[in-house]
Formats: sequence, C-alpha cells, structure tokens
Amino acid sequence: MKIKKYLTLTRAGIIESLNFRLAILIMIAGNLLYLIVVYFLWKSIFASSETGVVNGMTFTDTLIYLVLATALFNFMEMYTVWDMGRNIQSGKIVLDLLKPMEYRSYLFWSYSGSFVTNFFFTVLPTFMVVIIVTHGAIPFGINLLFFAVSVILGVMINYSIDFIVGTICLYTESIWGINIMKQVIVLLLSGATVPIVFFPEPLKTIVYYLPFQSIYNAPLTLLLSRNPSYETVLIIIGTQLIWCIIITAFGKIFWKKSLRQITVNGG
Amino acid sequence: MKKKGLGFYLKIYCKILAQDLKSKMSYRADFIISTIGMIFTNIAGFVSFWILFHNFSSINGWGYYEILFLYGFSLVSLTPVQCFFDNNWSLRAYVYSGDFIKYCFRPINLFFYYQSEIFDIKGLGQLAFGLGTIIYSWIKLGLGFSPLMLLKIIVFLITASLIMIALQNAAAATCFWINNSFYVLDLVTRFKDYAKYPVTIFSPVFRFIFTFIMPIAFIAYYPSLVILRPDAVPLLSWLSPLFGCLFFWLSYKFWMYGAMKYNGTGS
Repeated sequence: MKIKKYLTLTRAGIIESLNFRLAILIMIAGNLLYLIVVYFLWKSIFASSETGVVNGMTFTDTLIYLVLATALFNFMEMYTVWDMGRNIQSGKIVLDLLKPMEYRSYLFWSYSGSFVTNFFFTVLPTFMVVIIVTHGAIPFGINLLFFAVSVILGVMINYSIDFIVGTICLYTESIWGINIMKQVIVLLLSGATVPIVFFPEPLKTIVYYLPFQSIYNAPLTLLLSRNPSYETVLIIIGTQLIWCIIITAFGKIFWKKSLRQITVNGG
Repeated sequence: MKKKGLGFYLKIYCKILAQDLKSKMSYRADFIISTIGMIFTNIAGFVSFWILFHNFSSINGWGYYEILFLYGFSLVSLTPVQCFFDNNWSLRAYVYSGDFIKYCFRPINLFFYYQSEIFDIKGLGQLAFGLGTIIYSWIKLGLGFSPLMLLKIIVFLITASLIMIALQNAAAATCFWINNSFYVLDLVTRFKDYAKYPVTIFSPVFRFIFTFIMPIAFIAYYPSLVILRPDAVPLLSWLSPLFGCLFFWLSYKFWMYGAMKYNGTGS
C-alpha cells in the first residue's frame, strides 16, 4: 500500500503533538486573547463610521473574516522554514534525504498529524465561538463544502511557499530573517491583518494578482458569501488551483537544483 | 564578598559585547537579512494603519497621526528588550540541555551575566524606524518642542521598555518549571502587538486586565498621553515610571528564584 506509509507519519504527528498538552492550552488562551483584541479594535473602528457597512462588509463580517483568518493561520503554520533551516544547519537533513520518500512529501506528511490536532483544538473551537458570538452569521449550506476545498488548496499553497522559502535557507544561512520576511508578506498581502476589500485601489488589484490572497482570502470569501454564483466559485478555486500548480512545480525544481548546494560540516 | 559597583558591570558588559559582535560579524549575511526582516515587520504595521485610515477617519477619537505616534512609541520602547534581553529566548534550551549551569559558577550577578551574553543588533533597525515614526507624527501633529518634553519622552520611553522587559523575563523564567515554555514566551511576545492601540477601545473589564494584570497599556498608551494629551493626563501615566520599576524588580526576583532553584541535569 502506498498511502499507508504516509498515514503512519500522520499518526506519529498526532501522537507527538498530543504530548504537548500545555502548549495546546496556551495556544487556545492566546487565540482567545487575540479574538478579544480584534473584537474591541474593530468595534471601535466601525463605531466611527456612519453607515455600519464599509466596502460591503459589516462589523460582523469583518470579525468573522479576521478571526477565522487567524485560526487558519495557526492551523497552517507548521514552522516549516524553521525546521528546514535547522536541519540544514545541523546536518540532520542528510538522514531525511535518505528516507524512501521524497523530502518534500516526507516533511508535509510529518506535519499532517498536527493538522489533525490543530483542527480539533483551534479551528473547530474558534469556529464555534464565532458562531455563538455572531448568533449564526455564517451561512450554512454548500458554501461550507467550497470552503473546505478552498482551505485544502490554501494549505498546499502555503506549504509550497514555505518550502521555497526553506530552500532559500540553503543559500543564506539565515533563518530568522528569511522567515520573518515571509511571514510579514504573507500575513499582510493575504488579508489576514486587514481584509483585502479594505485595501485602496491600485494595491487591491495588485494583491489579487499575487498568490498570497489564495491562502486566506479565497476560502474566507467563499465562506462568507451567501449566494455565490458558480462562476465566482469557479474563478476563486480555479485561481487557487493554478497558483498551487505553479508554486508547487517551481518549488520542486528549485529544490532539485539547490540540493547540490548542501554542504554539511562533519560526519 | 564585596558588592561590585555599576562601573565594574559596565566594563564587563562592554567586554562581553565586543566578543559577541565579533562572532556576529562572521555571519554578515544573516545580520543584513535579519535587519531587513525587522524593518519589514515595522513597515507592515505602518501599512496596515495606513490602509485602516484610508477607510476610517479615526479609531475611538484617535486620529491617524496620533495612532502613528503610539505605534512609533511602542516600537522604540520595545527596542531594549530586543537588543539587550534576546538571550531570554535561548534560556529554555540552556536549561533543558543543562548548559545553564555554567552561568551559575561566575562570580558576578547571574542575571546580568546571562543577559549580557547576547546583543541583538537587528533591534537597531527597529529603533531607527520607530524614532522616524515618532518624529514624523510629532511634526504632523504640530506638538511643538521644548527641552522638558524631550526629557519627558525619554523618561517615559525608558519606563515603558521596563514593562516589556519585565513581561519577557517572567515569561522566559517559566522554563525553570515547565518543559515547553516556548509557547509562554511566544504568547507574551504577541502582547506587544496589542500595545500599539489605545486602551480605551476595550471594555472596562479588559481595560483593567490590560492595565494591571497584563500591563501592556503601559508600553505605549499611558506614557504617550503625557505628550499627546498634556491637558488630561490620568494619574496612571504619572505612576507608570513607578510601575515600570516595580514590574521589572518583580520579574528579576522571579527569574532569579527560578535560577537559584535550578539544579542542573546531572551531566
């Protein structure tokens, strides 16, 4: 069985992350705190607008958008760049390269376990809280299905970007700087800090042509739209799919070329 | 043992600093990339306010330049913790591996020696950006200038940074008791992102929490009022130097208590 070897990694990942129960608790506490800050911040921001609807978004829409964007961020954040960078510096990467599996998929599947635990410990609780706080402002229907598909594509795009950035570490020997740059760019241009519809015009168009909005903005737009036409859904998911293919392909080629660069000191 | 004076510690600090800078210089690319990354983060914060104020005229009665002033103030007051106390991030690893014991055998103050070992140069980029933001908003607000104001802002910047240092010390020291303290430190570090908002946006309960329990309102809000709203400075602003020293002293005691209790790993 081919899939079995991957699922073993998933299982190991689940067990590993369940070991850090305190970490999970603190993560939930941190998310709650963030939720509180975002709630009050945007409440007072919207208090200064007369109509209550800005750029087609109400306070509730904005709140759901930002809170779920953060939940998705925590869900997807796998510290890929850190792990790759450290493994390259320490030389442990040699052992991983010897595994009977492509390094790219090995890394992805060893994170897949924490996807499962993160889903149950951060995404689901946040989702519940949001539904309760906003009194069911999230429309239930076919959009949940689109959302799920879109999130999976988002995870893949995010991972591929991380993998490319991790590969850059082969050349730079700097992890912190590279990682923070990536994080800042992704968080800002994907709409996780301020929803993209708020961006002023030239910037907004540019951002829509970049791959980052496919990570958070695309699934959240699908989730929040009440009656999306099939055309819009097709365009959004199609864009994600195209970016996913382009970035994955680029990442694979880049990794292959860069692998020759590896210098591991000592044995 | 005779108590060693401030001059003695200053001399030692310069010596250790020189050694640290020498070793940093061998990773010049890392230094440059990290500094750029740091400035990226600050610019992203700036851009998100710019986008926000593109849509809204004020947040809770605070204008664009006033918010920028708060932001610049928080950046500058967060610089010392970045520059001088960055070794707190490694404390967990030292304690875990047992290497921490080497610090316990030096005939100088343990806390001082541990923190002085690392000087993080990339914080200087943030200092420059923060100062630029303060000066820019200062001019735009037409605050005027007097030596007394300069003295005030310097005193309040120092006290504000003491608060953040205290928070980080306390968070780092938790590693003497719990295993995976990275998340505690990470959580506290995220607090500083909330420091740039006026605390009045929160409801009374959370205003109390952010003032006395998690004192992030002292990082920018209360001290800035002295400059921004000189007619209506609350008592808490004048008390903030006192709170800064108090919190710092408490965190120092907590850190040392943990360190004294440490008995190594036995290897």
